[in-house]
Amino acid sequence: MNLEKVIFGAFVILSFTLNFGFFIGEIDNPKHHHELELAATLVVNLIAMTLKFGDRTHIGAIHLATSLVAVIQLLAASVVWMWATQVARMPTEGEVMATVVSLSGGALAANFISVALMIGETLRRTR
Amino acid sequence: MTDILILLLRRLRTPIITLIVVYAIAVIGLALMPGVDPEGRPWRMTLFDAFYVMSYTATTIGFGEVPYPYSYAQRLWMTVSIYLTVIGWAYTLGSVFGLARHPAFRAALGRHRFEARVRRMTDPFFIVCGYGQSGRKLVAALDEIGFATVVLETDPERARAHLVLDTRQPSALLIADARGPDILEAAGIRRPNCAGVVALTSGDEINQSIAIGARVLSREVQVLARVKSPGARETLEAIGDVFVVNPFETFAVNLGMALAQPDVLRLEDWLSGVPGAKPPPRIEAPRGHWVIAGYGRFGHSVAAALGAAGLSHKAIDIDRSHCGEEGILGSALAEEVLRKAGIEEAAGIVAATDVDANNLAIVNTARRLKRRLFVVIRQNLAGNRSLIEAARADMEFVQSVVMTHESVQLLTTPLLNRFLLLARRQNGVWAVGVAGRIRDTVGDQVPHTWAIECDASLLGVRHALEELPEPPLALSHLLMDPDDRLRALKAVPLLLLSNGRDVLLPDEHTPLRPGDRILFAGEAGVEGLQRRTLADDGAIDYLRTGRDPPRTWLGRWLMARQDAAASGRTA
Repeated sequence: MNLEKVIFGAFVILSFTLNFGFFIGEIDNPKHHHELELAATLVVNLIAMTLKFGDRTHIGAIHLATSLVAVIQLLAASVVWMWATQVARMPTEGEVMATVVSLSGGALAANFISVALMIGETLRRTR
Repeated sequence: MTDILILLLRRLRTPIITLIVVYAIAVIGLALMPGVDPEGRPWRMTLFDAFYVMSYTATTIGFGEVPYPYSYAQRLWMTVSIYLTVIGWAYTLGSVFGLARHPAFRAALGRHRFEARVRRMTDPFFIVCGYGQSGRKLVAALDEIGFATVVLETDPERARAHLVLDTRQPSALLIADARGPDILEAAGIRRPNCAGVVALTSGDEINQSIAIGARVLSREVQVLARVKSPGARETLEAIGDVFVVNPFETFAVNLGMALAQPDVLRLEDWLSGVPGAKPPPRIEAPRGHWVIAGYGRFGHSVAAALGAAGLSHKAIDIDRSHCGEEGILGSALAEEVLRKAGIEEAAGIVAATDVDANNLAIVNTARRLKRRLFVVIRQNLAGNRSLIEAARADMEFVQSVVMTHESVQLLTTPLLNRFLLLARRQNGVWAVGVAGRIRDTVGDQVPHTWAIECDASLLGVRHALEELPEPPLALSHLLMDPDDRLRALKAVPLLLLSNGRDVLLPDEHTPLRPGDRILFAGEAGVEGLQRRTLADDGAIDYLRTGRDPPRTWLGRWLMARQDAAASGRTA
């Protein structure tokens, strides 16, 4: 067992699970989506991205790319949320929440690819 | 660049993650702390507010308590966060700066910049390995002619001189050992515009391995190596296709010519001097007894040349291992040692020690003992120029000058070198004749020399040499002004290389064939006109026939009609 692999795997999966947790629920209902969960997803995704720095292999590059996509989507979601509540003073119900959650849904897709890549790579190694 | 970026990111992984974690704890914690707004209602910061506050606090900018004065819980959390984030930043920035100053990182960055500079070179360039006295001179000389240079040097101290170098062509330097094939490749040896590799480092073995490496990496480039031992020369000659220059031998050959063929030597000096400069004086070394002070490798080369000329000579050296059987052991600075070597009846002296001040002193002492002496002096360090000038010697040996001269000639005008080698087999009368012709053409100054190739890819050459119109293209056409054929160009054809055959001083009426190469000496600017002639079929037709050919389709049609009418009338 390799500790680095454990940490790496944990962060990749945690990015996915947190993202999933935030995403699930009625798309425009703020009660189903907590802001701290979005913040945690963003932080974990940032860490996962940093962990992927410096891998020169092709699969490493794709890994980094998926994380980049997820981080960009989550940053967009956070900015939309911030702008709507603090600058535009709009109610979170409805349109705003739907946008934030759908953006995080995009990140979820990227995180899913990341997890799939990791599993695929692991299976190839052991065989 | 990606390599460096990857290196950077990999090394900074821990600091970046630390920073992310610290920020996450501080921001989320601050947003959770209970606070009170000015109306006394319970209030909590949003995540964005907390991130904003942390951003200016962590970077020690500090705008104060925004948007409302904080509660004690918030202040408590802020206190913890300030220390956490400042430490996090200090750690990250420390790592970044530490990495930026790391020698390995700087070397990687330097290498990357160097490779980018080499890639940007579009004109022909030479790779010069070794940036000592000769290397510096050669880079300056190649720059003067219009070649870019790539310099490889292992010693950072020597490489520093390159920083303040002012060149017209681009010049890049890398501190690296040129023996590594990857270094030569980084220096662009495989690039199509790489013209040659010159190995001028201090050691024979190093130069030898650079030359071999260069030959193996690229069959096309010219390779030149400076070697001072016969063994290294043999090795390199066995590999073949490598120019080997021993500056000592080159000078000894010149001395031999000064003894036997002073007029040929003068012609050689004249043709290989700096264009536009005054012609060099005729040097005639006297026959008689010679004294050689300093019997190292240079002294031995000189002795061999004197021996070949059949002259008696006596060598002096303070080192027993140099002296051998035939030499005199002692310091040439002492009068009695010079007397013992026969200075009083000598015709010439060679001051060949490796200390410039001693050489000057030896010359002065020798002159005191014998009035009329032919003096050959060796200069070791570039900085001692004034010392050597004070000796007012008849011939000077400066290794870097000989080396630069020889390298430039071999690499940039190989045809001139070929001509000079052939000239050595001629007699003095011939040489005086050639010098006279050159003087009649360009006046009393060093002429430009250049080679013209009848390359069939040039439009004019293809027209004249493949369609074979009458009268055929001859050498004389290259000596006419393409704008006015009655005006002769100021140039002398020195050598025609046709089908592997050398023709010295070719006749003007010699017809040209594809692939012929001709060496000219003459005025500046003539080369450009000749190249224009060869690239333009119209100009060639004008020079051959004296009639400007029509350049347009309509003109040609009218001309053909006129010709037909004219022939019809005569018929």
